[in-house]
Amino acid sequence: MRRATLSVLAVLCAVMAATAAETPSLVAIQNARIVTVSGATLEKGTVVIAGGLIREVGESVTPPAGAWVIDGAGLTVYPGLIDAFSAWGQPAPPAGGRPAAQPQPRPQGQEQPAAPQRSWGPEDRPGTTSWVKAADQLDPADRRIDAARSAGFTTAVTFPSGSLIAGHGAVINLGGESAGEMVVHPLAGLRMELNARGVGGFPNSLMGVIAYFRQLWLDAAHYQQAKEMYDKKPAGLARPAYDRALEGILEANRVVLPAVTRVELERMAALAAELRKPAILRGAHDAYRATAALKEAGLSVIVNVKWPAKPRDLDPQVEESYRTLELRDKAPTTPAALAAAGIPFAFTSEGLDAPRDLIAAVKKSIDLGFKREDAIHALTLGAARIYGVDNRLGSIEPGKIANLTVIKGELFDSMARVQMVFVDGKKYDPAPEPPPARRGEETR
Amino acid sequence: MRIRTAFILLCCAWALAAQQPRRTLGEALGKKQPLLIQNATIHTITKGAFTGSISVVDGKIADVGEKILAPAGAKIINASGKHVIPGMIDCHTHIAIDAINEGSVSVSSMTSVADVVNAEQRSIYYALAGGVTTGNVLHGSANAIGGLNTVLKMRWGKDAGGLVMAEAPPGIKFALGENPKRQGMAAQQGSQAARRYPGTRMGVEDVIRQAFIDARAYSFQWKSYEQSRAKGENVLPPRRDLKLEPLVEVLEGKRLVHAHSYRADEILMLLRLAEEFDFRIATLQHVLEGYKVAKEIAEHGAGASTFSDWWSYKVEAFDAIPHNAALLREKGVLVSINSDDASGAEIMRRLNTEAAKAVKYGGVSDNDALAMVTLNPAKQLGIDKYVGSIEPGKHADLVIYDGDPLSIYSRVEKVFIDGEQYFDRETDAMLRRELDAQKKGLLEKEKLDERQRTPARRPS
Amino acid sequence: MRIAAFLLAAALLSAGENDSFLIRNATVHPVSGPKLNNASVLVMDGKIAEVGERLQTRAKVKVIDGRGLHVYPGMIDAATLVGISEISSVRETADISEVGEFNPQLRSSIAVNPESEHIPVTRANGITAVGVLAAGVSGGFGFGEISYIGGQISLMHLDGWTWEEMTITHGAAMQLRLPGIETRRFNPATRESAATPFSEARRRQETNLRKVKTFFEEARRYQTAKQASPATLKTDLRYEAMLPVLEGKLPLLIPAAREREIRDALAFAEQEKVKIILVGVRRPGGAIEEIAKRKIPVILGSPFVPIQEEDDPYDATFTLAADLHRAGVKIAFASLGAQFARNLPYQAGHSVAYGLPYDAALRSVTLNAAEIYGVADRIGSIDSGKYADLIVTDGDPLEIRTQVKMMFVKGEPVDLESKHTRLYKKYRARP
Repeated sequence: MRRATLSVLAVLCAVMAATAAETPSLVAIQNARIVTVSGATLEKGTVVIAGGLIREVGESVTPPAGAWVIDGAGLTVYPGLIDAFSAWGQPAPPAGGRPAAQPQPRPQGQEQPAAPQRSWGPEDRPGTTSWVKAADQLDPADRRIDAARSAGFTTAVTFPSGSLIAGHGAVINLGGESAGEMVVHPLAGLRMELNARGVGGFPNSLMGVIAYFRQLWLDAAHYQQAKEMYDKKPAGLARPAYDRALEGILEANRVVLPAVTRVELERMAALAAELRKPAILRGAHDAYRATAALKEAGLSVIVNVKWPAKPRDLDPQVEESYRTLELRDKAPTTPAALAAAGIPFAFTSEGLDAPRDLIAAVKKSIDLGFKREDAIHALTLGAARIYGVDNRLGSIEPGKIANLTVIKGELFDSMARVQMVFVDGKKYDPAPEPPPARRGEETR
Repeated sequence: MRIRTAFILLCCAWALAAQQPRRTLGEALGKKQPLLIQNATIHTITKGAFTGSISVVDGKIADVGEKILAPAGAKIINASGKHVIPGMIDCHTHIAIDAINEGSVSVSSMTSVADVVNAEQRSIYYALAGGVTTGNVLHGSANAIGGLNTVLKMRWGKDAGGLVMAEAPPGIKFALGENPKRQGMAAQQGSQAARRYPGTRMGVEDVIRQAFIDARAYSFQWKSYEQSRAKGENVLPPRRDLKLEPLVEVLEGKRLVHAHSYRADEILMLLRLAEEFDFRIATLQHVLEGYKVAKEIAEHGAGASTFSDWWSYKVEAFDAIPHNAALLREKGVLVSINSDDASGAEIMRRLNTEAAKAVKYGGVSDNDALAMVTLNPAKQLGIDKYVGSIEPGKHADLVIYDGDPLSIYSRVEKVFIDGEQYFDRETDAMLRRELDAQKKGLLEKEKLDERQRTPARRPS
Repeated sequence: MRIAAFLLAAALLSAGENDSFLIRNATVHPVSGPKLNNASVLVMDGKIAEVGERLQTRAKVKVIDGRGLHVYPGMIDAATLVGISEISSVRETADISEVGEFNPQLRSSIAVNPESEHIPVTRANGITAVGVLAAGVSGGFGFGEISYIGGQISLMHLDGWTWEEMTITHGAAMQLRLPGIETRRFNPATRESAATPFSEARRRQETNLRKVKTFFEEARRYQTAKQASPATLKTDLRYEAMLPVLEGKLPLLIPAAREREIRDALAFAEQEKVKIILVGVRRPGGAIEEIAKRKIPVILGSPFVPIQEEDDPYDATFTLAADLHRAGVKIAFASLGAQFARNLPYQAGHSVAYGLPYDAALRSVTLNAAEIYGVADRIGSIDSGKYADLIVTDGDPLEIRTQVKMMFVKGEPVDLESKHTRLYKKYRARP
């Protein structure tokens, strides 16, 4: 029964799937349920889009003359959904996890053999490509962008990959002809990883990685001081050598650190305090147990909704620990716990087979008591706020970017479907749902 | 001078940043119920053993004696027939951390195990159940100069900050002999990838000497900078170097060196090298051939923290003898016995039996043997003002045994840290039953969920 | 004190008859029966002649006054690498890893080095006999495990000029490593544990188990062929060595740490109709009753090993012996290595702290091992007719602080000095 409906719809969608090029610049959706997120939900309202921005929203708003009017009966309009951590539009990481960018030459100019680079200390800037910006290497033709949009996402924060300091993420809108059009903010946050194994030589342990970060930050501060002194009065002073790795650190508005378990969350909270930049912890399955520490540290969290699951083909003699089982049971309660504690948080579809699976995964939390409005908030304004772009994105308010997700029914209902999305005021229809990807196969 | 101070403060700030407990101890200590443990055989370590009582107020030992007054409102524990010893101190362990070695470089003093403390590692509980209340958690022995240590109290249930014994002076790990030279030897065995200087004991000495020469130069750089600043010159401060800062602290006597060592030659080498740079080695760790150079160790003033009876597991351990602890002690060295445990915390469950071996091999007295796992390691770690014996004013870190603490037949029954009960065998039994029940519940729930989900799964 | 004991022993030596003497006024712990206060042990020609509270002094033998001392049978380390592994990290010093999957013909006895430093060190703590493994087993200290059949464990006295003099029996048991389902395999090259999917690991086990069963089948065919025409059959040393196993005379010693491995071993024993001993049992779980019911003896490794599973009680390794004993399983302790072999009595002693009855603990380091290996007629207790393998102590030998004052192997006094005491004395005397 359900499958039949789906396939009919798929055909319809295929017919409807169109580029957004023809969207008129003035659009009104009327008689729709409008979830503004920033204010009250309008049971029957109108939202007017003009020139890629939201012009008006309200219950008694009349569509302006000349507007393309869409009948919103049976539809719910949300601010465009935001995936707070993705790699959409970014090149695939090179095999072996080593950064693709060229390594920094050794400071003493020692001859390096052609053999694999080995780092001998923090000075070699291991696993660091802090100069890389997701915004600079954005590929608008990446098919993952279409898939995400079809799942109702209008915005993502996309990051380059790397072993330790990967580079700067960008807030991007998931529509547009060129990278330049898509970028909402090019410096969303600096992605840091703890993958010592991706580096040859130093560091090869977690504590080495943390020590490296600490030294790198000191070096950056020293570099800045040197530059300031020089800029003020260059005469008679040695010119500080330009260092793109340190420039990248200084540019960062915030840092994004991985942390899944409580121990990791608390550890990264401590590190974040030392780095003296606003920090976002991502992963956070165990955050329901760490709310006090997160709250105290004033951190934001990106919850990975690929909930821990029992490994397939597990040896029945392997006794999974209570802690493993408990985390598996309780991880989906983390969003509710974060909401209750007042910790800013958002979601990522990282690790899921397809972007649309994110909604189903969040639904699991909702079934366990997480409030729908909190879920919607985390997927829209909450995510925007974490990255400091809530003044332009995340809610349906006059003046904001016209990113809208229009759902037939309501988000998280079992029969809900993405009807259309607006990105920068341009309307996109969802592509037909592709056949379910096989496990482990990346959906690109 | 002022800037010099500022620099030191900065160094300290870094050290503290890594070690500062987030939950203050006072918070927990403030409203604790006073305690009276009575009718026990009390091994004070400093003042012999007798049958009597211990009173505890505000997490500290208030009084010890044959007849003492119970503090007002005290919880009374009748320990008749039982023995009480100070919480044991393990001077060398690697429990409670998620990384042990930063083995990529021969000097890894920029790293600190304090950064990777895992307060939920079960090893903490195992150690606690074995009566160990304090552990010197050290970096591994892959490098001539290793990372920074952290001294933890086994306050099971607290977060990483809550485990830290804030009173303990900072330390650093050194390592001599086979372990630090292993990576340098790798190439001889055909592996080109990981070859790293040093590959010999001579190289180990060279690495340490060079590091301290660098540290001196670094210290000088800062001094010159301060002088220039004092003269009002607008100069750039030197780049801060986290690898060298701890070594400057060693040179200034502000950081304890805990040096993993086996053979007599390398032990002597390090003592002389330290003397060359005018600092003292706090402890020689393992120090299996220490008995051969006991005189020199005693003269230098280093402590020795050794194994009970380990030997023959590698070439440099082939002259190890179980009399090492007794003989070093006899020759005037301050001796402790350590576990070197990793996350399994195997020996920490029974460190008392390791101490008993010092009685067997070399005839140390019972009290002196117990001191090797209590007061002596406390002295070696510079925390004997607070822990290591049962004396008024010290932390109420106490272990109640059901019998003679040096007997193989005795079991730890209760453990207190800062006057708070952290382990109790009866409670442990109860917690086991609870855990079993909860685990069963979770497994059943998961099975049920699975069954419910299966029919709804989309065919693929 | 120990020097005194040695002098005493030396004095005995010079008295002519080395291996005949009387210990009197001692507390005698025969292990086979209740302790005897103020009792005597008479040793004649290396064997125990008489034990009792009122023994007549015979004119010809030396008398040792045992006032204040205790006499126990020498202890037995049921499975060890003492004698064949000197420095565990140096491959050349350890003969514990042969090439090939099936080596039943190997006997550890002939590779035991009587000059091994481990021998005096181990026996100084009261251990007079050991079962020397032919290949390292997991839970012990060895280099990987290549062979399925590693060879024969030899039971050796810890005294003798040659391995021949030391040998009690060349073949005490046959070491068999049954292929298990290894989903977590340690790769010694990378020093990392790699995870294998369960189904793949099970397939691998089936393949390997087939190899083992095929070998047993081949041995059986050889057995039949030999019975049919012994003259024409070409001798195959491997199958020849398997004959006592197939005849049920020689037990298989099978490492089995966890429930599944134990059940696999029990099933194998049933299918192949062979006698087995389990070694290195660590988490028997629900298989305990089955082990007891089938009367399979268990050789336990050290309780001084880390807890295996996160949710296990902190004392799980300490209570294991008591759990097995309570269920009625016969247990013997073993070091499974060399460096800590001298701590054998403490393995038993610490198990007493966690529920093992004292008498059972004492048996687990003496008589039980002898019974398991079928040599209880010769060693394991103080009974007339057995070898005079005796230790004289100043107290309970399971207690750490107790000193072994004298030792006799086959009635001969044994030097309790070792590399360790020599170095101790040498450096103690350093000015």
